[in-house]
Amino acid sequence: MTTALPATATPATDRPPRGARGLTWTVLRLHRSALIFWCLAVAAATGVLIWMYAIGDEARRGVGGCAEPVAVDGLPSCRAMEAVTADDTYRTFIALIAGALSYAIFAVAAWAGGALIGRELESGTAKLAWTQSVTPARWLAAKLAVPAVLLTAGTGAVTLLGLWARGDDDPNLVGDWYYPDVFLSTGPTAVAYPLAGLALGALAGLLLRRALPAAGVGFGAALVLYNVLERYRWEFWPTVTRAEAGGFELPRSAWQLGWADSLTRATFHPHSHFWPLQYVETCLVLTVAAVATLAAFWLLRRRTT
Amino acid sequence: MTETAIEAAALSKGFGRRRRKPALDDCAFRLPAGRICALVGPNGAGKSTLLSLAAGLARPSEGTISVLGQAPAAVRERVAYVAQDKPLHPQLTVADTLRFGRELNPRRWDAAVAERIVAEGGLDPDAKVRTLSGGQRTRVALALALGKRPEVLLLDEPMADLDPLARHQLMAALMADAAEHGTTVVMSSHVVAELDGSCDHLLLLGAGRVRLAGPLDDLLAAHRLVTGRADASLEPHTVVESRTTGRQLTALVRPEGSLGDGWQVTAPTLEELVLAHLRTPEAPALRLDSAREAAV
Repeated sequence: MTTALPATATPATDRPPRGARGLTWTVLRLHRSALIFWCLAVAAATGVLIWMYAIGDEARRGVGGCAEPVAVDGLPSCRAMEAVTADDTYRTFIALIAGALSYAIFAVAAWAGGALIGRELESGTAKLAWTQSVTPARWLAAKLAVPAVLLTAGTGAVTLLGLWARGDDDPNLVGDWYYPDVFLSTGPTAVAYPLAGLALGALAGLLLRRALPAAGVGFGAALVLYNVLERYRWEFWPTVTRAEAGGFELPRSAWQLGWADSLTRATFHPHSHFWPLQYVETCLVLTVAAVATLAAFWLLRRRTT
Repeated sequence: MTETAIEAAALSKGFGRRRRKPALDDCAFRLPAGRICALVGPNGAGKSTLLSLAAGLARPSEGTISVLGQAPAAVRERVAYVAQDKPLHPQLTVADTLRFGRELNPRRWDAAVAERIVAEGGLDPDAKVRTLSGGQRTRVALALALGKRPEVLLLDEPMADLDPLARHQLMAALMADAAEHGTTVVMSSHVVAELDGSCDHLLLLGAGRVRLAGPLDDLLAAHRLVTGRADASLEPHTVVESRTTGRQLTALVRPEGSLGDGWQVTAPTLEELVLAHLRTPEAPALRLDSAREAAV
């Protein structure tokens, strides 16, 4: 999604322009509060993740084995280990960032339906733009492209920082890879979900043409998408089935989906399925975003000239 | 100058279900460039619908409308439109609203014109639009429209929110600007007096149809207000409206030749012409805008 902005010939009488021009400027200016909020949120997440990286080593000392009553063989004494509180802080904030990344879709969808599109159609200001020298299609393209770029940059940066701050991915500290929040916040899905929220919200805004209902429906559509994908996530890549007479145990890193025949047969996703599952889910979410975007353009085209 | 600013043929626009009466029904008219056209009609006559079609904001259900010889969507850049409710972004300042116009009309924007109109109203450029009164918002909306240097300016009830002084002053600014640049202006109103004196073309809509269309002088010249005895015949003239008070009859007619003796004849005013047509929806339509002008 890109916006083709015309080459601007500035009249000689004008002040020299600085920064964004044309539709890009209008989108940034009209949604300045959202822009400031997003920048602050990304900055806060960046700060928290750098802090988490800094206390990561200490946090890791707070989990794992310990020896009673005194430290032996490189194991710390249990009293010394209990005195470490960094692991709680680390666990809490890593989970908070993971949650924020995986739930960002809901806020984005409600915002896109309400403030970005619905309010403009409700108040008639969209028509104000369409009777300047821009077509409705270019208007919508800018309305989607500018937030999409900022969302991608923000979620991408926070995701990468998150991976860095997680260090060795100790599941006792950062959760197992197959927990929904952890899964969604540690791969390309973290970028794809908010984009789908943007497209779904925009479509809701164009459909309903009123801010509040569109925010609600955008949020609802995102909720449906999130839950459907969470429900069927395990089916996005073939599972592994292992059967052994006499029973066996699976490592913690296996996403256990079912046991049968008195614990002699297990169906699961090994850790190595993380990336295939990520790719399939990212493709699905981006497809939803693309279809919603096309539907939004089609709807706009049908309504206007 | 016989260039056409707006031309409609068999233009219809319906909303919602088919059963409902369309907002515009088989309209045809032609507006030459450079005219100041009054678009008059009662509420619900289709004035706003017609203007939004001309602005390229909606598609006709049937028929065609062309602006400056092209589809309205193709000439966005050369047409300005001020909607009836004057939509503006409430969170922008006046200065940012004008910058909005500049950013979205990069090839046409005339900052000096827009800033002058805003300054004449004593508006603080740093005031947020949401703090402005209705009349001040109208002024900003007009500044945005004129800053675009349009060739066709479509104004939907532009003066409704203005006090008489501001109305007079803005109308004068508008007319001076239009005269200087040869802008075609279409201005809708249901207050006829508001338009008298500034317009030279009339388009009267009633119930979605064109009732009168043409140069104002020609339309006025084609009608006569006559007073005479109630039992006298007005054959063969077309009677638009007649009213009998006691033994006296007053009628607005389109004379077909000499009216003859026995009638006291005066020229109607714009208001009398419009009101007579609005009071008698069954009076035949009159178009003086097509054949003669097109033949030149």
